[in-house]
Amino acid sequence: MLDLWASLPPELQDVLFALALIAPGLLAGAMVLRGLRPLPLVGAMLRRFVWVNALFVALIAVSVGLGVGLLAQERGLRQGSARAAEKFDLIVAAPGSEVTVMLAAVYLQPSDMALINGAQYAEIAGAEGVAFAAPIAFGDSFQGAPVVGTTVDFVSHLAGPLAEGRVFATAEEAVAGAYAPVDVGGSFTPAHGHGPAAEHDAHEGFAYAVTGRMAPTGSPWDRALLVPVEGVWAVHGLANGHAPGDPRIGPPFVPEMMPGTPAVLVHATELWGNYALKSRFTRGDLMAFFPGTVLAQLHGLMRDVRSAMSLMAVLTQVLVTLSVLIGLMIMVRLIARSLALLRAIGAPLRFVFAVVWAYSAALILSGAGLGLALGWVAARGISAIVTARIDVLVTANLGWPEAHLVAGFISLTLFMALLPAWLAVRRPLLTDLRT
Amino acid sequence: MTPALHVENLRVTSREGRVLLDVPLLTLDAGQSLALRGASGAGKSTLLHVLSGLVRPSAGRVVWGGQDIAALTEDARARFRRETLGLIFQDCHLFEELSALGNAGLASAFAPARDRAPIRLAAAQWLAALGLGQAGARAVDSFSGGERQRIAVARALAGGPPVILADEPTAALDRANADALGADLVRLAAEGGRMLITVTHDAALAARMGRQITIADGRIVEDSDA
Ligand SMILES: Nc1ncnc2c1ncn2[C@@H]1O[C@H](COP(=O)(O)OP(=O)(O)OP(=O)(O)O)[C@@H](O)[C@H]1O
Ligand SMILES: [Mg+2]
Repeated sequence: MLDLWASLPPELQDVLFALALIAPGLLAGAMVLRGLRPLPLVGAMLRRFVWVNALFVALIAVSVGLGVGLLAQERGLRQGSARAAEKFDLIVAAPGSEVTVMLAAVYLQPSDMALINGAQYAEIAGAEGVAFAAPIAFGDSFQGAPVVGTTVDFVSHLAGPLAEGRVFATAEEAVAGAYAPVDVGGSFTPAHGHGPAAEHDAHEGFAYAVTGRMAPTGSPWDRALLVPVEGVWAVHGLANGHAPGDPRIGPPFVPEMMPGTPAVLVHATELWGNYALKSRFTRGDLMAFFPGTVLAQLHGLMRDVRSAMSLMAVLTQVLVTLSVLIGLMIMVRLIARSLALLRAIGAPLRFVFAVVWAYSAALILSGAGLGLALGWVAARGISAIVTARIDVLVTANLGWPEAHLVAGFISLTLFMALLPAWLAVRRPLLTDLRT
Repeated sequence: MTPALHVENLRVTSREGRVLLDVPLLTLDAGQSLALRGASGAGKSTLLHVLSGLVRPSAGRVVWGGQDIAALTEDARARFRRETLGLIFQDCHLFEELSALGNAGLASAFAPARDRAPIRLAAAQWLAALGLGQAGARAVDSFSGGERQRIAVARALAGGPPVILADEPTAALDRANADALGADLVRLAAEGGRMLITVTHDAALAARMGRQITIADGRIVEDSDA
């Protein structure tokens, strides 16, 4: 049985699971309503207490929306951060914290790091199976946008063909990220460092001319300004990796003339080659890691947080469900006179039961539907804010986990709605009729 | 067949043990009309509730056409009310959000499928017969007190019941409206050969009935047929 389940395609599993979750509620409904037509009366009662009902629906919608939004947001963030790291196959850096290097090199969160020297770089770049090894030299900024020194190979690897203009050809040219603050044809003078601590006049008298713009990548690199690594070295008054007077940019570098780089992105000629390269450069004076793996570990660490969040979402839902239930029981008192009239003129108990259940179901279903929409809108809004803040493109869409959450909620509450219906038919007929 | 009513050794006691109703014998033939009179608190409504199966007697039998309804289950009594009785309440008990027609045809919501269309048709016809033929689609909260009570009468008649039980149907109406409604009620019952039992304080309405009974302290103290 379990084997059979595991052999099904994941989409089918999702569909079946959603159906299994919602089936009990719908089945209960089908049994309650079989052969009866309570809806015209339910409609009349819903109109009667339209504001109270609207409040109920809003309450359910907010709680469902919260759960749905939370789930969608968390997954969107996970997917977005993974997508941003996709192009970073293998990173080699001086030994230290993989997470720190990943944050700095992939997400451009600046931090002070030890450097790889020219000889080490030459060894990496010359290793068998390496298609290219691009230095990633960060540390400068312009108007809050990171200025990163690298190579032409890296630019085309990261973003594919340029959206506009051409790639840098001299040490004084630059390529802008899709949303970087300088246009093609413009120029900028980098500041040393980042944020409020940046020294704006450190590199005075030096300017990069922007010659091209990259297509969007959905990563923090969209706000970055990419320059030849030789430029970064030059503005810091260091040797530029080539023999004096040599105007070329890009590898190969002369090891003795290379000041060093905090990280190197290694792209292997073959996918499987990455593993050999990783083990080769995992050693005393170097560290090599797959950012994707580190990210997966981080996400794994956060699984507990995620479980806690899901549990909280479910708990909120249960609490709201309980208050809705209590509300429904109060509601039953409001409609008790109408129900008593129905019984007095000969409605069977089953019909009265069905009226109350359908009344509750109408509130629950419209609340859940509205909540789904609310969750989607909220996730969209929060995604936009998150994207703007961390520059990682986060797109939160509704997916199967949300569908399962809502299906489970609907089923559970439709079942719980049997209780007020049962209480309604046990009320004293004559007392209700007299009120 | 219009069921005749046969009540025997009927007693209704309150939870505290007070005797609310004590009727050794009461019989009524099919198509007869009866006025129940008496002071407030005498037990008139209680008798009507027992006759309609809304209250279970503490002792005795309430036999309609050979069937003791005190012995029936709740659903069976509901079915008996739907098929046999037309109930009219003192304050008409309408669904405010439904139209006049929706209220008059209310029983079609829970009647067996084959009865639904006939009930709605009859509801429209009774509304017309009671002078509300043009206003069927209007929401009932826009109707006057007299009109609302007519809608309640149409509702009681829509199922084609052989028996009509009315609890002070004209109490909330002014003289002219009360007289008109009373006349209609008696006429429509007589035309259909229906039994009509009406609780009323209104001497004029009581005088229209074939038989008058006065109740005091839960007992029949006066009977025009005795
Ligand atoms: N469930 C009950 N428990 C205790 N006493 C009750 C109950 N129902 C009715 N009574 C009492 O029984 C008596 C008869 O009530 P009933 O409603 O039949 O009077 P009535 O003749 O219809 O009066 P009115 O003309 O005011 O409507 C009243 O004293 C009332 O308080
Ligand atoms: Mg009374």
